[in-house]
Amino acid sequence: MLPAALGAVGGLLLLLVLARGADEVLPWALAILGAAYTVSLVTHGSGVDEGVPLVAVGLLLSGELAAWSLDERHAIAAERKAVALRAGALALLAAAGLVAATVVVALSAAPAGEGLAWTVAGAAAAVLAVGVADRVARR
Amino acid sequence: MTRISSPRRVAYLGLAGAALLAGLALGRVELVAIAAPFALGALAAAASRREPQLAASLALDRERALEGEELQLTLELRSTTGADRVDVLLELPSGLHTRARNPRAVRLEAGVPRVLQVPLHCDRWGAYALGPLFVRSRDRLGFHSWEAKIGGRTPLRVYPRAETLHALLPPLETQVFVGSQVSRSRGDGIEFADIREWAPGDRPRRINWRASARRGELWVNDQHPERNTDVVLFLDTFTEAGRGGRGTLDLTIRAAVSLAHRYLERKDRVGLVSFGGYLSWLLPASGTLQLYRIVDSLLQMDIVLSFATKGVDVLPPRSLPPKALVLALTPLLDARSARALLDLRARGFDLVVVEVSPVPFVDPGSGELAKLSYRLWQLSRESLRARYEQAGVPVVEWRDGVPLNVPLEEVAAFRRFARPARA
Repeated sequence: MLPAALGAVGGLLLLLVLARGADEVLPWALAILGAAYTVSLVTHGSGVDEGVPLVAVGLLLSGELAAWSLDERHAIAAERKAVALRAGALALLAAAGLVAATVVVALSAAPAGEGLAWTVAGAAAAVLAVGVADRVARR
Repeated sequence: MTRISSPRRVAYLGLAGAALLAGLALGRVELVAIAAPFALGALAAAASRREPQLAASLALDRERALEGEELQLTLELRSTTGADRVDVLLELPSGLHTRARNPRAVRLEAGVPRVLQVPLHCDRWGAYALGPLFVRSRDRLGFHSWEAKIGGRTPLRVYPRAETLHALLPPLETQVFVGSQVSRSRGDGIEFADIREWAPGDRPRRINWRASARRGELWVNDQHPERNTDVVLFLDTFTEAGRGGRGTLDLTIRAAVSLAHRYLERKDRVGLVSFGGYLSWLLPASGTLQLYRIVDSLLQMDIVLSFATKGVDVLPPRSLPPKALVLALTPLLDARSARALLDLRARGFDLVVVEVSPVPFVDPGSGELAKLSYRLWQLSRESLRARYEQAGVPVVEWRDGVPLNVPLEEVAAFRRFARPARA
């Protein structure tokens, strides 16, 4: 019941974003939709959901397409090439996201090793992830 | 350029971080998988933040045009870095419009100039400045946009079309220079005036042999010389009445252009006085250059609200030369200009008043009081016209949609049967 309610709220917020052009609400809509999926995961399943890459890419595409729609709310006649470039870039991002999410799910199923080397590698990956996030946030 | 970042960039980063934390807390790999595309999106946003270097130039195929004509504006956009999408908006003044797509979005390749042709249609006269361009450049996924105004301002003058005038008002007196107006005085010319007795100094070719034979002494022909005239267009710019883009000032300027064009064509000298909140004048002169001076001055003309009391004393004497025909174009709405015109008449100027009627632009109202006010206003206007006529000044009403020939013919008829009273 809760996931459905959260999903409905997220969907309504997304509609609000599109109808009112309120792009500041878009992150909240995505967050609530993500929360709905998380709640459904916690309440229903114990195993790994193999469809999660599609869910992840679906969420990303919802955000991107909504943002594209907001960018085009003013009637500006655009060249086909300019539109095609964005569509291509979006498709590329979605494909890369799908691959990344699939790799994450696949790696989680692979038997992980143990020992100091793996711990160091994990710590280095965490530090690298934080560093990249910091760099991205500063730009 | 002003940079505007989409809230998605931070949002994706936040969503990815929150999903990773939730994944760690709940021990669910699915949440890490959810985080992966958003993290990629945030990375893409960071990677695409590169300010495009944009430059633009505007060029018109000509700087002057007539109302109703079409001209070509060339926009050249350049970028040294390239831009995936550039929205270009050319803000057009209300007197111009284009069939081309405006705004439009284009892609710029690095170092390759992009030329856009914008056909402009001139709807109304005016002095315009086109540009600068409003541009907004976006990265490929729309995470960042940069806005700026680029390109200079290109001047464009759209001249009103001169109305065809069949006849012009001849002034009562001509000037001393050669022109096309047959003078009332006698001298060397083409038009026969009279015969008179020969006097020393008369050229033999002027002898009227037939009259001389009949009278037994030498008689010579007299002619009317062709002289030029001085015409001063006196424009009342204190106030105007208008509705829906048309108004008395618009009509005044159109009439002034037509009159100046025709008088200058006749080799007359034409001057201009703009009598209003902002006073300006052009000394009478002849030739095409004077026509451009007058039209350029008319294009700049506007109603400037002023409460200052002004009389004709403020005008330099050379702007109103003696024996000049003063052709006043006025809506007769401001008492100051009405007084100034009577003052001009009292100073002996040959004055003609063309009343650019504000009546079609005034709504009489619906209430009893409004209708009464409207009638009183019309009566006061009639009384003012009567004052001019008492002073021997022809006053003719000219309404929107009526050719200018009509009031000019009315004035000519008035002057055929009336002579100005010496005030």
